[in-house]
Amino acid sequence: MLLELQHIVAGYGNIIALKDISLSVPEGAIVSLIGANGAGKSTTMKSIMGIIKPKEGTVMFQGKSLGHKKSYQVVHEGISLVPEGRQVLQNMSVEDNLYLGAYQRSDRKGIEEDIQKVYKKFPRLLERKTQYSGTLSGGEQQMLAIGRAMMARPKLLLLDEPSMGLAPIVVQEIFDVIQDINKEGTTILLVEQNAKKALQIADYAYVMETGRIVLNGKAADVAANPQVTAAYLGGK
Amino acid sequence: MDELLNGYVLQVFVFVCINCILALSVYMTLSTGQLSLGNAGFMSFGAYTSAILTMQAGVPMPISIVIGGLVAAVVGLIIGIPTTRLRGMYLAIATLGFGEVVRVLALNLKITNGALGLSGIPSMTGSLGDIASDLGLLDALEMDTQTAGQLGMCIVLLIIVLVILVFWHRLEQSRIGRAFAAIKADEHAAELSGIHVVYYKMAAFLFSAFFAGLAGALFAHTANFISPTDFSWHKVVDALLYCVFGGSNVMWGSPLGAVILTILPEVLRDLAEYRDIMYGIMLVALMAFRPDGILSYDVMRRLAQRHHRSHGKDGV
Repeated sequence: MLLELQHIVAGYGNIIALKDISLSVPEGAIVSLIGANGAGKSTTMKSIMGIIKPKEGTVMFQGKSLGHKKSYQVVHEGISLVPEGRQVLQNMSVEDNLYLGAYQRSDRKGIEEDIQKVYKKFPRLLERKTQYSGTLSGGEQQMLAIGRAMMARPKLLLLDEPSMGLAPIVVQEIFDVIQDINKEGTTILLVEQNAKKALQIADYAYVMETGRIVLNGKAADVAANPQVTAAYLGGK
Repeated sequence: MDELLNGYVLQVFVFVCINCILALSVYMTLSTGQLSLGNAGFMSFGAYTSAILTMQAGVPMPISIVIGGLVAAVVGLIIGIPTTRLRGMYLAIATLGFGEVVRVLALNLKITNGALGLSGIPSMTGSLGDIASDLGLLDALEMDTQTAGQLGMCIVLLIIVLVILVFWHRLEQSRIGRAFAAIKADEHAAELSGIHVVYYKMAAFLFSAFFAGLAGALFAHTANFISPTDFSWHKVVDALLYCVFGGSNVMWGSPLGAVILTILPEVLRDLAEYRDIMYGIMLVALMAFRPDGILSYDVMRRLAQRHHRSHGKDGV
């Protein structure tokens, strides 16, 4: 297992948002984490990145505990997060945003190559490379956020609601790229409300409800589960 | 030429330079998104350290001035450990409090001579004048020792300001500068890109403390007299005004603001009692029409493009 969460309990102050979460992400897979608002999906991501400290349980990455590592150290270990709402740096150019993603690397040549790779994946970013990223459309910002995360050459890419607020055609484009990235060897943990799409591209899926995992298994099995179809896929 | 080289003009120029250094020191913390108002306190440390070292231990002035800056930086390290974890208003208030603590300390300690302050601090102008006369430059320049000293002071300070500007400009173009800009734009996103946020905020804080201390030490050896009132919170508000007026988002803004706002009261001297009113009106007007200050990101971008074009490269 590349990533393994073991009995994570976490929350904000007195509010417990995650009640005993265990999940595992095998190397090379796309794993989707679906659930309604407030189920604890983003909190799970934050616990992995060390943005919030779990009260109990451990996060294991490549067989080692991430312990109390800070976010920047977690990035160094090989996990990148594309945060919810994208968080691109509005007052910096597209290209500067990409360079920032490679902050912990010092191999100039590799960085340049990877920037070209990002441009190849998202030609629209190349067109706008000197533009302030705050002037990009929502979809382009999402592309930039993904490109920026890839610049760190992560082993595991965490995506928090990449489809949020985007037009269906752009969502399709983003999901295609996510599959591409996965084929090129990056493992992916995807948090989505758009359960249909998330289950289509995933190998495994976990369903969360109010801080617990209520269902998990192969994505196809989860998609076929009557409860899931009723709750997330518009029922039959 | 003679008109320009009179004592009054040179004196104003000296204060312009010192205020530039002070404004830059405030800008340094602002460039990582920290509003730190402790610079009067650091200035105080630099000024008193250098004054006491020269007066009581006979340390040569150039060395004592640098030590003044370093002492301020060490104090910055101690203050910075808790405060760089604060944000926004909380950081501003904590550092403002620090400045007041330093002022009250200076007011009550024996070594700082309390409210009376320290007088008879060795003058940098004087010693530069002596150097000029030893070198036999006075006849060549057709000047008296006093003017030559003041001119020398202007040149030394101008060089210091230019060195700081070049240093910080290069820093902003480097990896470190990119980290600063990212932290300023969004601390959270910066950390997720793998930037050690606290470390860089601390670095900016230390640079700021050092240069504020340096400005303080230079001030002490220019005014030859310092007292705790010289380093009250007014001082830091002035410095902050320089940054905001000139444009707090770009490096060139703070020296520009310092130049304008130091010269302005002199130009307005004829207005006598209406001077402060005019000063205030100008500030309000600028903030109303250019809330980002005179120089903003966009202005710098346009200037850079024009520069590119005029040099035959393709600006995008």
